[in-house]
Amino acid sequence: MKRFLKFFSSIKLAIVLLIILAVASILGTLIPQGRTLEEYGARYGQLAGLLMKLQLTGLYHSIWYLALLGLFAVNIIICTLERLGPKYRRAVAPRVESDPKALLAMKLKDRAKRNAPPAEAAAEVKRLLTGARYRVKEAAVGPRVHLLGRKKVLGLFGSDMVHLGLLVILAGGIIGGATSIRDNINLAEGQVKSAPKADFEIRLDKFTTEYYPDGSVKAWKSDLTVLEQKKPVLSRTVTVNHPLTYKGYSFYQTSYGFNWDNPGVEVWAKKKSDPAFLQKLKVKVGERAALDDPDKTTLAVTKFLPDFVLGENNEPVNRSNQPNNPAAFVEGSRGGTPVFSGWIFANYPDFAQMHAANDKDKEKTTDLAFELKSFDAGQFSVLEAAKDPGVPLIWLGCGLLMFGLALAFYWPTWEIKAVIEDAQGRSDIVVGGIASKNREAFAAEFETLTSALRKSK
Amino acid sequence: MNESTIFVLTFILYIVAAFFYLAFLFTRKESWAKTGSLAAIAGLVAHTAALIVRTVESGHAPFTNMYESISFLSWAFVLAFVIIDRKLKIPRIGPYLMLIVIGLMALASSPLMPKEATPLVPALQSYWLWLHVSVTLLGEAFFAVAFIACLMYLATSDPAKKERMDSVSYRCVAVGFPLFTLGGLVFGMVWAYKAWGTYWSWDPKEVWSLITWFVFALYLHTRIVMGWKGKRSAIIVILGFLAALFTYFGVNYLLAGLHSYA
Repeated sequence: MKRFLKFFSSIKLAIVLLIILAVASILGTLIPQGRTLEEYGARYGQLAGLLMKLQLTGLYHSIWYLALLGLFAVNIIICTLERLGPKYRRAVAPRVESDPKALLAMKLKDRAKRNAPPAEAAAEVKRLLTGARYRVKEAAVGPRVHLLGRKKVLGLFGSDMVHLGLLVILAGGIIGGATSIRDNINLAEGQVKSAPKADFEIRLDKFTTEYYPDGSVKAWKSDLTVLEQKKPVLSRTVTVNHPLTYKGYSFYQTSYGFNWDNPGVEVWAKKKSDPAFLQKLKVKVGERAALDDPDKTTLAVTKFLPDFVLGENNEPVNRSNQPNNPAAFVEGSRGGTPVFSGWIFANYPDFAQMHAANDKDKEKTTDLAFELKSFDAGQFSVLEAAKDPGVPLIWLGCGLLMFGLALAFYWPTWEIKAVIEDAQGRSDIVVGGIASKNREAFAAEFETLTSALRKSK
Repeated sequence: MNESTIFVLTFILYIVAAFFYLAFLFTRKESWAKTGSLAAIAGLVAHTAALIVRTVESGHAPFTNMYESISFLSWAFVLAFVIIDRKLKIPRIGPYLMLIVIGLMALASSPLMPKEATPLVPALQSYWLWLHVSVTLLGEAFFAVAFIACLMYLATSDPAKKERMDSVSYRCVAVGFPLFTLGGLVFGMVWAYKAWGTYWSWDPKEVWSLITWFVFALYLHTRIVMGWKGKRSAIIVILGFLAALFTYFGVNYLLAGLHSYA
């Protein structure tokens, strides 16, 4: 048990772990994380399988990385606990007595004499220290009076506070890892979806994209309403950096998309033989509309591709979900028989060409022209719903960490010890001072105090 | 005066500062160092003005692309040096620091860095941009001063100077480490949580900040608990600064990730 404790409490272990963690973390930034076996195969060839087996491809969540962090946590706990007891005793019940010879061996020291008995001289030193905001403890041993003045005692615990902060952050991470819920929700305007594993729903009332004059995106705004048993309880506009929080869940604006399943399109029909003829048809994809002509032609929009390109075999393919080259496939019928069909393009109206189903209809077909004037796909908002019960611990840990760092670096304990001895009815005063950090400022204060001691009679 | 004019003026003042500091380095006359320090402070004032003008004109924080970011980093370097020099009187660091700053300013002015201010993408529209970036870069600036002190420690053979540089580097880390922890890690986590819904994503820039933090933690533990000083400590600080530098530059150009803004 003792050897076990000794191993875990050694600073050497901490240092070795810091080095291993640093090196392992570097490795994780050199190997792309979380890709597929094919991608690794293309990159590393034969090594790909081995890398995956060693969990180097999901390094930060691998058993061995987590084990290293666990070992690090145990190391911190034992190191801190071991030092905490003696430190606590030093803070609460310090040794007040000191040896005058030891005081005179300190870097900061001084001596003075008084024409008064030790008790009186001690009272004067005590007043001086108390005046400079030192907390003074006193002990009389025989003819000697010992004084211990200290300030900023909390500074002793700076490093412990930092370590506690780190442990709390790790605990928050573990809780988050084990219990957090995270899910993407795609919402079209008016749509209602339930939050993952929750008893309430959210509705998207409105989704808007704002643009800068140069065309780049300025903001995505989702007006969300929280519904409890179908009743609205909370409405808020969510933008990037401004999530909505409800019942421990946060809803983040992460992305957006177009709903191309069933967009509405506006098609203009024209006749080459009759320039006055113009008919504006508004239909949904999959619907049919009647043309106001003597032949009783009806038109159906059967397909819509937001980003039309020709594939390898010259077939129409959709390249992306961005409306880079919107195209609609229209079909004309007369008396229930298909007579012509063709692609029309929003960006390239001249490319449209109708193909007749048979020779008989060719003439009538070539007289008609169609243009894809506009389309209305309806954007949907992509939100991330997240619930992480570990998060409050993370912020608590960060607070402790920063508070501890401030204490450790800028709140060092200052100690002034004094021994007042009887010298045939007079008093000999010996003073010494120590500070672990910020020694220059302490030396200046020590000088002010001791010079005051020397000056006053 | 517009921003680029003030930027050029700043650049000239920094060159003047470097010139006087170099003169001090070779002649050992304190008065040269004093003049150098005045020029550096004048440059810092001009630089501050340039950053303010930039902020007013663009309507956002002056560190959202590489040009702005490098200019701000140089500003932080000079500010950290001026503060440390006032406290510890270390003009000898001046010439090296000013040369690095001139290098950075030259890099910022190079045609490789687009200068136009572009409107902010939605993810960057947050006051956390100010807090996260400025505090982190200021922390890194103190690491830079520590780094120079450590190089000087390794370069000199004069024991008194060695002792001095060892203490200077520790004092710089004592300022830089809390700042870096606060700006880089804590503010970064808070902002990531607000913008992305998760405080930590193991994104390369996050990991490299953590690595930098580990290296400086190593420095503090070996120094305070194990009593390391001098050469070994100096080497750790140099490694730590290189890690910080890689976090700043390398990650942007070599590793893809969430921090692909600047």
